[in-house]
This record gives sequence, C-alpha cells and structure tokens, in this order.
Amino acid sequence: MSTLSGSRWGAAGPSTLDPERVRGGGLGDALRAYLAAVRLGWATEANWTDPFLFFIYSVAKPVSAALILVVMVEIVGGEAGRAFRGYVVTGSALWSFVIAGISGLAWSVLDDRERYRMLRYLYVSPASFALLLVGRGTARLTVGAMGALITLAVGVVVLGLPLDPGRVDWPLLGVAMVGGLVAIVVIGILMAAVCLQTRQDSWSYPEAVAGSLFLVSGAVFPLAVLPQAVQLVGLATPLTWWLAGVRLALFPDGPSVVGGEGSAWALLSGSTAPTSVDIALALLTTGALATLAAAAVFRWSEHRARERGLIDQTSGS
Amino acid sequence: MSAGSPPLRFGVGDGRSAWVGRPTVGPRQAAAWSRHQEILTELRAIRGRAYPRVRALFREKSWLLFEILLPFLSTSAFVFVYRALAAPPEYIGFVVLGGAMTAFWLNVIWMMAAQLHWEKDQGNLELYFAAPIDLMSVLFGMAVGGLVMSGSRAAVVLAVATTVYGVTFDVGSWLLLGLVFGLTLAALYGLGMVLASLFLMWGREAWHLTQLLTEPIYFVSGLNFPVGRLGLLGALAISTIPLAVGLDAMRQLSFRGAPSFGTPPPEVEAAILVAMAVGFLAVARIAIRVLEGLARREGRLTLRWR
Repeated sequence: MSTLSGSRWGAAGPSTLDPERVRGGGLGDALRAYLAAVRLGWATEANWTDPFLFFIYSVAKPVSAALILVVMVEIVGGEAGRAFRGYVVTGSALWSFVIAGISGLAWSVLDDRERYRMLRYLYVSPASFALLLVGRGTARLTVGAMGALITLAVGVVVLGLPLDPGRVDWPLLGVAMVGGLVAIVVIGILMAAVCLQTRQDSWSYPEAVAGSLFLVSGAVFPLAVLPQAVQLVGLATPLTWWLAGVRLALFPDGPSVVGGEGSAWALLSGSTAPTSVDIALALLTTGALATLAAAAVFRWSEHRARERGLIDQTSGS
Repeated sequence: MSAGSPPLRFGVGDGRSAWVGRPTVGPRQAAAWSRHQEILTELRAIRGRAYPRVRALFREKSWLLFEILLPFLSTSAFVFVYRALAAPPEYIGFVVLGGAMTAFWLNVIWMMAAQLHWEKDQGNLELYFAAPIDLMSVLFGMAVGGLVMSGSRAAVVLAVATTVYGVTFDVGSWLLLGLVFGLTLAALYGLGMVLASLFLMWGREAWHLTQLLTEPIYFVSGLNFPVGRLGLLGALAISTIPLAVGLDAMRQLSFRGAPSFGTPPPEVEAAILVAMAVGFLAVARIAIRVLEGLARREGRLTLRWR
C-alpha cells in the first residue's frame, strides 16, 4: 500500500496522518480552541477603533435603553414611579447581557459566513463548531458585561439606586449569574442554529428574540402585570429566574419579579414570593431543559446545513 | 482605432474612456442613450433593486415570525410598563405608534445605511459602478423595497397592537397626518441614502455605527414618550432627526389633547420634515457623486473588508 492510499481516515496500515491528532477531542484541545475563538472574537469586536470610542460604543446602547425606561417612569410620575425606577434600571442593565450574548453567537455565524466567508474553514477545523461559536460569542458577552456594569453604576450614582454592598446576598448572586449566563449562551446557540438556516438579512433576528423574551421574563415590570397564561410562559424561561435571583440578591426589599398578589406563582405555590432556594432550583431546572432543547436544535440545524450546503452560502436582498 | 487617435488608457486624466474611445466620465455617458432610454433604464434599475426585497418577503418564511410577531411582543413590553404604572391611555398609544415607526428606522439603518458597505463586501458594488445606471436609482430601489418590507411590519404592529391594547386614536386632520407620515418616510430614507455613502467611506466602523444608531436614537427621538420631555436634547433631536420630528408630529395629530411639552405645532414640524427631505436627498446626491469619483479614480471603494 502506498503512503498516499494509507493516509485515508480510519484506514488500516501505515499512515502519514494520525487521526487522533487531527480530531483532537481532549479537554486541553477544547480549551485551546475556545481561547483562540475568544481572542478572534475580541479582535473582531474591538480592534476597529480606539479604546475610548469602543468604550462609548459599548455603553451607549444599554445606557440609552435604561434612560428610555427612566423617562417613561418619570413622565407618569407618582410614588409608584419612584419605586419602579430601580426596578427598570436593574432590569435594563442586566438585559444588555441578553442582547450581547444572544446576538454574539448568532452574528458569529452570519459574520463568518456572509461577511468574512470563513465559516467553511472554521467548520472543517478539528475544533468543535459549537465551541468555536461560544468562544466568538464570549467576546460580545464581555462587551455586554461592560454595558451592564456602567448602566448599574449610572443607576446608583446618578439615579440614586439603593444598592448596599453589605446587604447583597453574594451566594445567590453567584448562582444566579452563573446559571443566567449559561442560559443566555444556550439561547444564543439556539439562535445560531436558526441563523445557519436563514439569509444574511437575519441580522435583526437575535434582537427580535431578545425583545420577545423582554416581555415574558419580567425584565422591566413584574410578571404579575401580564395575563396568567403569559406569566406561565415567563415562569418556564430561565431568564426570568436569573433576573429574579439577581434582583433578590442585590435589592432584598425590592418588588418580586415573579411573585405578588394574584400572580401565577402565588396561585401555583401558595406563597407570595419565591425564596432564594426556589429561585436557584427553578433556574437550574429551566436552564437544564433549555440546554437540552438547544443542543437538539443545534444538532439538527448543523446536520441540515451540511446536507443542503448552507455552511458556505452567501445571500442578500 | 484610427492611426491618428491617441492611445486609450483606463483612468486617463483627460476624461477619455477606454470603452468607446471618446471623452466620457462613466458607463452611463458611454452608453450614449436617448433621454427616453436613460429614464427607462433608471426605472428598471429601481425596480430591479427593489425586487429582491419584495420577493424576500415571500421566500423567507422565518421573516414573518422574526420581523413581525416578535417585534410586536417587544413593543408590548413597553405597553406593560405603562400599564404597571397606571399611565393614561394615550401613553399606550404613544408606544404603539413608536413601535410601528421603529420598523422604518431599523430598515433605514440596516438595509439602507449599511447596505452599500455590505454590497462592497459581497462584491456587488463594483457591478453597480460598472453598470450604465445612476447609483441614486440603486438607492431609490433599496428604499422602495425596504418601504414595502417595513411598511408591512409597521402596519401589522399598528393594527394588532391597536386591537389588542384598545388604543383609541383622536385624529384632528387625516390629511395632515398622511402628509406628515409621507414626509417622515421621505426624510428618513433620504437620511438613509446619506448614511449609505458615509458608511461606505467609513468602512468597518459602519457596522458598529449601525449598532450605535438604535437605542440612543430611540431615546433622543422620544420613541415611547413625548420628545418635548427631554427639553433641550429633545429640541435638538427635532431639528436634526427625522424620526424625532415625524413621531412628535404624528403623536400630536393622532392624540389631540395629549401633552406635547412645548414642541412646535404639527404644521411647523411638517415644514421641518420638508426641509429635511430636500436637504438629505441633495446631500445624498452630492455624496454619491463624490463616491463614484473615488471609486473610479482610486478604486479603493470596491476593495472588500476595509
């Protein structure tokens, strides 16, 4: 057998190609691939301008989104409005994680396929495709974190948000943030799966999904305001529990995201508002279900994209 | 070529064309068509550029979910903020009107302003420059196609939200409202044409500027509240951003008696919109001429990923 014929994958006999080395698969290889994708994502996101302009760009969007809500609250006025201000600022700040996380993953598909036309090369690289996407999305998630922190800082310093570090429930905050970020990445993977199937005009799809989740997850108003059926959808969403956990950890006396008189939570559980343990368990359960669903959809989408040649398609309108 | 004619070169300084051997500045002039042929070609260019956007409505089914249903839910979130605050009913109407108009703004930003930049990345831009058509026709075609796309989204958001949330419009003058709406679209898409030229010159930053022109513009335009509430910032927005002045005029005309916080009457705002529409279209025309010149002289506008 010649050296050339022996170099087929999985062929018996002497080979110049070691499949194990090409396939990788170890934890070290996965970590290296992830870090390379993070570096690539950060370079794509951040090296287009100087650091000052990049900082302005990173915080302008979340701060403006929070200010829209603050003016809405102020314009109606009253005691309810003042109590509500902290609620909307916190929700709006945290939401920049969601927008950045979901769009970061989905746009990495569109960016690499339609603009830079590198997706085909990334896809055939030995690293896991999903892992590369997560790495690319991590950079944007970091930008989202900057926006969230600055918005919260503006809320505390300028708008007088009553944040007392001594009263923060740090363990709950840690659990909620880890669970919430995993849930955001999972929804991002789901959107990446959708964008693998659609045209380049789907740039706005991630924000549309984030906008609809904005309604059902109690980001800027308590779920109890919604009709009961919509509240149930909200209770099945991990983002709702993430927001509830972070809010309870940061502002123990603030209004509950999911509870309240006549809320679906109160009818189902018999208690007015969920405890820290309830929130952590609900976040883990809904997050695990969302992860399973996203993994199934992503595998199906990847298979379909391979079958139909969508990995290297370009489109336009 | 006759023995006495000078040698032909691309990009010669004396204005001679390599295509037909006579002084021309581009393919349109080289075509040497009659006025009738020119007009017909420009109209075909407009139709041709609008076509993929209109057809895309029917070919990409996911568009219905992501561009119509989900944005409606996003608008609904702001409705519930006002409900949670027990705000007066006209404020719900403000949100619904703002939610409908975001469709046009997003279309202007994503599918007008950033479009030439994307066309460059895709390799289409050099074809536009080489075709015997005016680039303004391409931009008009994009605007017409975009209007159909965003108009359908805006209509659905307006109709469904009005029904679901029981918004009651109290319109003083339908004629003036229609006029203001038309002028707002003309000014918005005129601005989109200007931005398309600028974004093309800015290169990669354009993509990020597209991001920057959503929430901050929503805020200063008073998307969900009367822009007059922002004081000086609101006044500045009314004099520079078509979305701000158009939305405020439409709010005043659609909800008589609602607070306007000292903004000009709708007639004055309509005049501002006329000035904006004319001004933006004129600037867009100049910018396109400059771009064409750069593209032919230096060739760098057709280089991808810059």
